[in-house]
Order: sequence, then structure tokens, then C-alpha cells
Amino acid sequence: MNLATIPFKNMRRKPAKTVLLLSVFSLGVISIVALYQVSLVVGHNLEKKLTAFGANIVVKPSTETLSVSYGGFNMGDMLLDIEDLREVETTAAIRSISLNDRISVVAPKLVSMYKMNETAVAVVGVRWEEELGIKSYWATDGAMPRNPDEVLLGSQAARKLGLSAGDRLTLYGRDFTVSGVLYDTGSDDDSVVLMELGRLQAMLNQPDRVSFVEVAALCSGCPIEDIVSQIQTSLPRTSVIALQNVVNQRMSSVRFVQKLALSISLVILVTASAMVGLSMLSAVNERRKDIGILRSLGYGKSRVFLIFCLEAGLIGILAGTIGYLAGFGASLKALDFLSLSEGARPIFSVTQLAFCALVFPLITIGSSLYPAWKGASIEPSRALVSL
Amino acid sequence: MLEAIDIKKSFSSDGKVVPVLEGISLKLDAGDYVSIVGRSGSGKTTLLNVISTLVRPDSGEITYEGVDLASVPESHLNGLRKSDFSVIFQFHHLLPYLTVLENTLLPFMNSLKPVSRQIEARALECLVRVGLADKARRLPGSLSGGEQQRVAIARALVKSSKILFADEPTGSLDQQTGDTIMELLAELHRDGMTIVMVTHEMEYARLADRIVEIEDGRIVH
Ligand SMILES: Nc1ncnc2c1ncn2[C@@H]1O[C@H](COP(=O)(O)OP(=O)(O)OP(=O)(O)O)[C@@H](O)[C@H]1O
Ligand SMILES: [Mg+2]
Repeated sequence: MNLATIPFKNMRRKPAKTVLLLSVFSLGVISIVALYQVSLVVGHNLEKKLTAFGANIVVKPSTETLSVSYGGFNMGDMLLDIEDLREVETTAAIRSISLNDRISVVAPKLVSMYKMNETAVAVVGVRWEEELGIKSYWATDGAMPRNPDEVLLGSQAARKLGLSAGDRLTLYGRDFTVSGVLYDTGSDDDSVVLMELGRLQAMLNQPDRVSFVEVAALCSGCPIEDIVSQIQTSLPRTSVIALQNVVNQRMSSVRFVQKLALSISLVILVTASAMVGLSMLSAVNERRKDIGILRSLGYGKSRVFLIFCLEAGLIGILAGTIGYLAGFGASLKALDFLSLSEGARPIFSVTQLAFCALVFPLITIGSSLYPAWKGASIEPSRALVSL
Repeated sequence: MLEAIDIKKSFSSDGKVVPVLEGISLKLDAGDYVSIVGRSGSGKTTLLNVISTLVRPDSGEITYEGVDLASVPESHLNGLRKSDFSVIFQFHHLLPYLTVLENTLLPFMNSLKPVSRQIEARALECLVRVGLADKARRLPGSLSGGEQQRVAIARALVKSSKILFADEPTGSLDQQTGDTIMELLAELHRDGMTIVMVTHEMEYARLADRIVEIEDGRIVH
């Protein structure tokens, strides 16, 4: 028996009221926890989907430029020591960094120039499977190449060469069929001829060579800088560049989801706290007489204050614990319901449970401060007023 | 022990100031048994509440063991209410959700430190003394009016308070139950407790050593 007995027994005495208050606040906690878990997963899935819209890291051979001017003539920048990358080694190195679970797509490319009937075009070798992973927005007039004898043309390149789907063309002395022409993308892809990387390497007699590698990384949960520096460490002789605008744009979509969840959570939290505060206020009014009795028995204001805080804290601890457990379950159900259950799953965490069991009592106590203060300022003479 | 000098107290109702106590002086010595009588509305309850620190007087001085109670901090008053003074109201002085035993121990439950076994044992003894040993685990709601009064008396006993203020402790009870309460008070008085009792039954008032009669906010006798 101690001070806590008073709020505890009072709550037990009015089970209906206690259960109601507990349910309301637990419901708030459940919604917040579920929303948080779902938003994490949705954010993750969203980002994964967004990687289909382009790479956000480029791995290039490291180059040194030298500005050459001699005798007053500026001869422009000269690139020194351009050494192509090795495909197998480079892609393997990228795939094996410790943050490799954040690497979604690794798309190597070899670029070469070819002159066809006095028209120069860039021929780019790609690994189709990887490439389509980051170019899901591609739309073609015709079809995607199905075998190494087929090529895909960018819209400008097709215009320049006067070719369309189904036509044949000769590259490096070999015949190819145009499987399709890309609709305008507004990117460099418009002006190139795309073909299978292995075939291009063989024709150029440069097996295993690539000009650069595009990487799509997931950056929610860890900054892109970490991924970049890990790739840089495992490939010291390359230059690894994060395409910050792509990263930012993508993260802002993910953050939007999380901000939305946060704002809804805040509204729920404020509502639930207001309910607790109101309920406490009515409890204080209901128990003016009790407070008077306690005060007439020598309970100081701080003790009365503490009684109401303990009561609110108890509600918070229970609601925080129940809410986290139920909210976690609810998030699994919600993800199933939203058909988002494949891929990332929420992870049950004892730390988060402890956090809920600690923070929510602070919130309920916070919202009961005013009622508790009202209660504490009730004078002992209140005990004398018979209601 | 306790001395009230020239106590004045008025209440305002409907914007009008109604004087209730108009200069009352009262002196209590250790071991006194005083009863306060008077017509309904004469200010008996108000006086009792003022001298038991529950209501602040508008003017006048109350000293307890030489200390002016108007000049001490709230914590000092809390201390007196916790140990030295006990008040028995006419009704409603138990918390309905605590058992009889817990209500008896209430003055000792005001911190997070659990009530000691010793005090709990003493509370049980006191409940035996007021004849409620078998009802210690019951809630007040299931007790009769007389039994509830006895819980309040047991509470005063556990505190071993020096002064017991009782406002019509038999007011809501039948003759026989009232008699047992009065016997208990007499017993406490014999053990040395100072008692101030408000009553309007002269039969009970005469059991005290001294009778104070109030009329229109003044002591007339
Ligand atoms: N809190 C209050 N506010 C306004 N008026 C009050 C208050 N308490 C008492 N009074 C008034 O003061 C007067 C004296 O009241 P008090 O309760 O002291 O009388 P009493 O002698 O105890 O009467 P009774 O025998 O009926 O209990 C009454 O007229 C009452 O209406
Ligand atoms: Mg009265």
C-alpha cells in the first residue's frame, strides 16, 4: 500500500470508464504504430519502384584532365589515361559492398562511335535485363530486342538514319534488325543505337570492357554518401558519382509518404491526448470530495498532483504496450490488405516497444498536467461540501 | 494547546456578505473534552473547520502549541493534518474505492514508500478496538453509517492524533449506534485525547467536560 494504490484502486473500481479511456488511447497508439510501420514499408516499396525510373549513381573510369595551352593557343582540355572498366570485376565489386542490400540495379554500358553512310552514331551496349530495370519508362514503337541480332534505336537516331522498326542495318560489318524505336525520352537515349553488350564487346574485340556503370541504389534508411563511399572504397581506381538531383527527387517522394504518416499520427495523437486530458478533467471534478478528504488528511498539493499523474501514466504505459503490440499486428494485416506484403516486412523491435511504453505515458501525463494541477489546487475545505 | 482568538469569518452568497463567526475566542487544553452546541446555522461547523485548519478565518489568530498557524507554510499545516489533528465529518469521509483497512491507513499512504507492516498491524488493532475487525477488507459502500463513523475514529486512532474534531458524529445515526460512538469517544478521552465535538443533542453534549454554546456567531455560554 502506497500512494499508487489510490489511483490504481480508483481505476479498478470503474472498469468501464478505465477500459473506455484505455481503448481510446490504445486505439490512437495502434493507429500511429500501424501507420508508422506501413509508411516504412510503403516508402521502401515506393523507392524500389522509383528505381525503375533511372539510376542514381554512376561509376566511371577515373580521368585526369589537363588544360593545354601553348604559345597563346588554347588547345582545350585533354583527357588523359582513360582506361575502360572491366565489366565482371566492376559489377561484382559493386554487388559485394556491405550495404549491398541497398543496391537494386547494376547496369554496365559500353559506348562506341560508328560511322554509317557519313552519319556518325553512338552505339551503346547494354545488358537488357539490367537496363530495363532502370528504364521502365521506356516505350517503343515496335518491340524490345529479343536476341543479340536485334537493336533498339533512339528516336533521333532513327530519324537521322531513316530507319524504323523491322528495318535492317549493318554495324561493324554485321547485320542487325531494328526491333523497335524508342519514343522520345528527352534523354541521351534518344540519339543512340542500343544493342546487346556482349555482342558489341565481341565485335569491337574488347571482351569484358565497359565505359561506365549505372547503379540504382535505395537510399531510405542510409544516406547515398555511404553507398557511394563504399563503392569507391572497393573500386579505388574509378570515380563514383551520386546523381544528387535524382536522389533528392526520389527521397522527397519517399519522405512525402512518411511526412503524410507523421502528420496523420500527430492529429491522432493530439486527439487522443485531448481525450485523456478531458477525461482527467472530468475525473478531477468528480473527485473534488475525495481530494478534499485527502487534503484534510495532510496530503499536500504535490501529492494530489502526483496521484493524477500516476493515473495518467498508468493509462499511458498500458496503452503504449497494448498499442504497440496490436499496432504491429494491425500493420501486418494492413499490408496484406493493401497487397503490399511481398518484399519488405515490418520488423518487431523490443526497443520500439520499450520506447512506446515510455513515451506514451509521458504524453498522457503531459495532457493531464492541467487537470492534475486543477485537482491539486482544490482546498481541503472541499471535503466538507456534501455532494 | 490550541487557542483561537477573536475569530471572524463571513461567507458571501448572492453578492451579499453574510457574517458567520463574529469574534470567537476558544482555548483548548490537552485532555479537554469540549462540546459545541447551538441552533442550526449558528456557525458551529464553520468554527470547527476553522480551528481544525480546513477553513481559513478572515481575521483572528489560531495558535497551536505556541505557533501561529496563519504564519506557517502549507507543509506545516499538512503535517498537522496528517498527524496531530483528526476530523470526523458527519458523513462522506471515506474513499469509496479503498477498503476499510486502506481508508484507515490513508494518512500513511501519502508517499510512494509502502506503508510499513508495523503501522498496518496497528491499524488492524485500531479496527478491532472500534469493532470492525471482520470488515477490514470491505469497501465503505457496504458499511452502515455507524460503521463508517467508526472507520474514521479508527483512522484518528492509528494516527494517534492529539486532537479529534467531530462534527455531529452521531447526526445520521440511530440512538443505539449513536450511543456506541459516544462511548468510543469517551474511551478515547479517558486515554488522553483532546476532543472537540459539535452536536445538537444535549444528552451527548453533557458527556463533555465543557459545553460551549454559539448564537449568531458568538459564544454565549
Ligand atoms: N461555504 C459556505 N458558503 C456560504 N455560506 C456558508 C458556507 N458555509 C456555511 N455557510 C453559512 O454559514 C452559516 C453557518 O453555517 P454552519 O454550517 O457553520 O452552521 P451550523 O451551526 O453548523 O449549522 P447546522 O447545525 O445546521 O450544521 C449558515 O448560514 C450557512 O448557510
Ligand atoms: Mg453543521
